[in-house]
Amino acid sequence: MPLWLFKREEEGKMIIERAMYAKRFSMIFDRQKCKGCTLCRDICPREAIELKPSPKKEGEKTRHHLVDVDQKKCDFCGMCEAICLFGAVTHMTNGEPVVAVVKAESFPTLTREIAVDMAKCEKDCTKCADACPIKIVAVDPKKPEVNIERDFCPTCTWCQVACPTNAIHVRKIFNGSIKINQESCPENCVECLDVCPLNALHLGEDGKVYADDAYCIYCGACVNVCPKPEALKVYRTSIYHTPVKSGAWNKALEKLTSTQGKEREFRAKILAKATEAVKNRTA
Amino acid sequence: MAEEKKVEIEKPRVGVFVCHCGLNIAGTVNVEEVTKYARSLPDVFCAMDNRYTCADPGQKEIKGKIKELNLNRVVVAACSPRMHEPTFRKCVSEAGMNPFLFEMANIREFCSWAHPHDKEAATEKAKEIIKMAVAKARLLRGLEKFEVPVTNKAMVIGGGVAGIHSALDLADMGFKVYLVERDESIGGHMAQLDKTFPTLDCSICIEGPKMVEVSRNPNIEIISFADVLSVEGYIGNFKVKIRKNPRYVIAENCTGCGECVNPCPIEYPNAWEMNLGTRKAISAPFAQAVPLIYTIDKNHCIECYKCVDAC
Repeated sequence: MPLWLFKREEEGKMIIERAMYAKRFSMIFDRQKCKGCTLCRDICPREAIELKPSPKKEGEKTRHHLVDVDQKKCDFCGMCEAICLFGAVTHMTNGEPVVAVVKAESFPTLTREIAVDMAKCEKDCTKCADACPIKIVAVDPKKPEVNIERDFCPTCTWCQVACPTNAIHVRKIFNGSIKINQESCPENCVECLDVCPLNALHLGEDGKVYADDAYCIYCGACVNVCPKPEALKVYRTSIYHTPVKSGAWNKALEKLTSTQGKEREFRAKILAKATEAVKNRTA
Repeated sequence: MAEEKKVEIEKPRVGVFVCHCGLNIAGTVNVEEVTKYARSLPDVFCAMDNRYTCADPGQKEIKGKIKELNLNRVVVAACSPRMHEPTFRKCVSEAGMNPFLFEMANIREFCSWAHPHDKEAATEKAKEIIKMAVAKARLLRGLEKFEVPVTNKAMVIGGGVAGIHSALDLADMGFKVYLVERDESIGGHMAQLDKTFPTLDCSICIEGPKMVEVSRNPNIEIISFADVLSVEGYIGNFKVKIRKNPRYVIAENCTGCGECVNPCPIEYPNAWEMNLGTRKAISAPFAQAVPLIYTIDKNHCIECYKCVDAC
């Protein structure tokens, strides 16, 4: 008997569904929130996610890649939702939001450490909201009150830098580095600059693109569109997440960072365990 | 058998005997015409009709013709070989012929009984059947019978309700039985049904106890989740190659408690439930599965090892 699989585009959302007798699994990909980075594609255990170049019109800026999910392969495990920096993916079971892997503690959630000290806020200051490249910071300048949609925050630290009174503290989820080899860059190519969702790249005086490690979240959207693979490299070293013991996460971590990155986390885990054991013994 | 003629290198000399079978055949098929036609076929040295070829006079006639015309192939166009092939084989061997050089053309069950209302077409069909039998007879080679040792074990391929029952019957006769099943559990389609005709009994209530009986029977070895790759040999001496597919669970240690299922995050459509329900990446297809060993589907497993912790 064939499976009931549906796939449709609806108001800027891609919805795929697997309908069964008593259960209905669905996955909603928000096209507005998705920035065409490589994270979900890299870790998908079923290799169901594909990134396709968006159609380019003459005289327009290059747009980021578009996500496509193969509904026949998808198992609705929820790894893509757990890793998405921009909160673009939602999984539903019978209409209830459920992330299967997170519920089973097989996968961590990303830790977004965002602290706002509203006592330090000045009246009529909206600098953080103006600085936010994806407009998820809302400020009520009269109170003053700052509201950040934490679930969608990629922790680029633009607001932290823009704040005149150091009232905002943001810790990055991904650590790493971005390297642009300007000598390999093709003449007048600004593809990476066009797609960067967080304006972490800027144009130098010589017409070449330079990276700004301070704002980069190492999502890899720029790597997708770069015409020369040796010109632009993004390395991730560690990921800030809730504690987890799972082979699936180890595999995903190795794919996202490197074998060394995985080993570093293992060592940190062992160290934490040992410290705890010593503490328990001395207590 | 030693005095039987060596016929392999001889040119075939075929005798065709068409039986009336009372009116069973002659009532529909024009036997005279068929006999005449048979006479025209290549290598046919004699063709004749007879009221009852299987009766003594009929058999005597065959023997007589073999001696008289030195026939080395005999075709009898009569009933099904299930009926009288042994009779005629014995008859021709008594006349000194190798019994495997005898061929039977079935013009009763396949022709006269099947087409009682169309005599002309039935006659044509009878001609065709005899033509085929003569063609085959011309190519026949004499065979020798001898005894070979036999492996007193049986293999049943397919663990559906038919396979289960055959395995049980064979095991009760004292044979060692290997029951090979492609899926993780025996049971087949009957395990999927709700009720069975005509008593409307619950299907698994009938099959479940049989499945358990199979697993308990010391004479039966269930080889489940396995594929038959090749079957070689002949009756009594088969060599079968079977590939056991990996379950990623140590079968000897699995008690079937099901503790591993709950922590598993992955659900995929259950083919046993016709894709209407789900099963986890580590699971058994249904609760009454035999053998009750859980299986990890590597196509869906994300290798989080939560099941390992739970075991």
